[in-house]
Amino acid sequence: MNNRNQWLKLDLSGNVYPTLQRKSFSSVFRVSVTLKEKVDPQILQKAYEKTLPRFPSLKVALRKGLFWRYLEPNKNPVPQVERDVKNPCMPMDFKTKHRYLIRLYYYECQISFEVFHSLADGLGAVTFLKTLTAVYLRMRGVKIPDEEGILSVEEEPKREELEDSYMKYANSKVTPKRSQGSAYRVRGTKEPFYTLNIISGSMSVSDLKTASKKYGVTITEYLNAVLVYALIENQKRSKVWREKPVRIAMPVNLRQFFPSKTLRNFITMIYPGVDPRMGEYSFEEILKEIHYYMRYHINEKFLNADITTNAKTLQSPLIRIVPLCIKDIVVKQFYKHVQDCQSSAGLTNPGIIKVPAEMEPYLERFDVLMGQPFSARTNCAIVSYNGLTTINFASSIVENDIERVFFRKLVEEGVAVTIQSNRD
Amino acid sequence: MAYCVNCGVKLEETLTKCPLCNTPVYHPQEEKTERKVPPYPSERGTVEKVKRTDLAILLIVLFGSTAVGCGLLNLFVYKGSLWSLYVIGACLVFLVFSIPIMVYRKLPYILMVLIDGCAVLFYLALVAWVNHGMDWYVQIAVPVILLGTVLVAVLLYVYQHVSRSILFTAMVVVIEMAVFCAGIDLSVYYYLYEKFCLTWSAAVVVCAAIIAVSLITVMRISRLREEVRRRMHI
Repeated sequence: MNNRNQWLKLDLSGNVYPTLQRKSFSSVFRVSVTLKEKVDPQILQKAYEKTLPRFPSLKVALRKGLFWRYLEPNKNPVPQVERDVKNPCMPMDFKTKHRYLIRLYYYECQISFEVFHSLADGLGAVTFLKTLTAVYLRMRGVKIPDEEGILSVEEEPKREELEDSYMKYANSKVTPKRSQGSAYRVRGTKEPFYTLNIISGSMSVSDLKTASKKYGVTITEYLNAVLVYALIENQKRSKVWREKPVRIAMPVNLRQFFPSKTLRNFITMIYPGVDPRMGEYSFEEILKEIHYYMRYHINEKFLNADITTNAKTLQSPLIRIVPLCIKDIVVKQFYKHVQDCQSSAGLTNPGIIKVPAEMEPYLERFDVLMGQPFSARTNCAIVSYNGLTTINFASSIVENDIERVFFRKLVEEGVAVTIQSNRD
Repeated sequence: MAYCVNCGVKLEETLTKCPLCNTPVYHPQEEKTERKVPPYPSERGTVEKVKRTDLAILLIVLFGSTAVGCGLLNLFVYKGSLWSLYVIGACLVFLVFSIPIMVYRKLPYILMVLIDGCAVLFYLALVAWVNHGMDWYVQIAVPVILLGTVLVAVLLYVYQHVSRSILFTAMVVVIEMAVFCAGIDLSVYYYLYEKFCLTWSAAVVVCAAIIAVSLITVMRISRLREEVRRRMHI
């Protein structure tokens, strides 16, 4: 990108997150890497200063226009790395910290990168973290090539890394309806202001592969089914007045289907689940439902139609001329009463993270944390690296029934799970 | 390294209980060695507060200069009447309303409401003085503004300290509206006929009483409350 002063329109997903902002909530998520040696904060700061300018979509400030918000280059010095805290993914005010919408933490052997969701999705954040870690290790004398998704910090940022791919690829002639109907919602006791409870389970990829192969499904489908099973059990136990479908909101990386190189958001949501009102589901039946739902919906045509629904809304001249303050109210209410209600939990799986072979001896594991949920529920993020899968549950409620049933089911299925948590 | 006897999961070395079921970790053969570093930090982070002082300074400069500008115009150019007092008063009222929200955010809200009420009283006094109408000011404006201020303060107190339920808040609003209407009615009647009497507000008070009694009934009977919640949910 030649013109560094260029401002950016928020992308399709990016427009939604700032409207949900409140004093106790921001759409912030975290990606972490654990090294095999203690992190040196001074070297990390230098690596951060060297890496961030390569990612202009992260070195931005969020501003308000009359009709839309936009991103403009942030010329303030690169923020300081901070010692990690017990309560990650804290709300992020748009005006503090020199208007940066990113945070970099270190703790013992771990480097954690938090980003406001309007700037990037999981892949964008992981690309930044991998590049930063490579720069950090190079400063410690390790020779690492620019491959496997590590960007060269000497290169100028490319235009396609900053594009709004939604608008480029959304061209379906039909648009499916947006609402899926309301789903079962976990009721729980809210934790005090910005407390985030994490329960993290790690297991070997081969154990998971064996368990999922037994049923002829993929690991993602299998873990989705385990989560649906945990939610159904929870609904049964909580004796709700009227049962509702159990559905999971799952982001799909659209780069698998469209030739996009963007480092900004390019995901859409699908909602696999089952409806317990039709009768009792066995685990095998849940698996079958999830398996066929995902096979049916995750393809270029369906996903294109899905993003076109949102793109059409954004392009409508009527909507474009509505002032931002009114849009904020409408979008927030829509999200609160429709979007958020149609899923019982969130699950994301960025898949297997690959790094150059020269880097592997220095890295222990990767973690992804979906951040604070908008309503009282739990979110689950799965990531695999070097034969180890980590499943991180993040919730802002006291109860941990979903997590307990989820991990116990995995153990029952013969998957050895190691648990760690930040709960007291 | 221990396993949870309930859940069957392996527990990270620094855990003293299973995070899934709270079963304490007990490993009889494990020797107590040096303390391991936990995987999560123990310090809690805090969110940095937004400084709104810059906006407050801008507002003071904006409204201050508007007030001074209008005052000078009134003094030297458009000398017909004291019209600038309306603008100066409005600027002052706006500043009194907005500055505590931006700068002194920890000021008790009841104090904020009282200060706002005083500012409105001051503005109306200015208007009354310019128009030689201190009678309506003393007999109508002062009681109505004071009553309105007290009612807003009561509503805020009830919302903050008594109950945040929609039904309860609705009941308080309905009762307060009835009291406010009665207050306006009484002061206007006294101003016109020099005696206290309820006229049109009597109908408002009766309607409000009916609504308030219905709301109290709904609140007291849980079955009814659930029914209303179900049918009226947004």
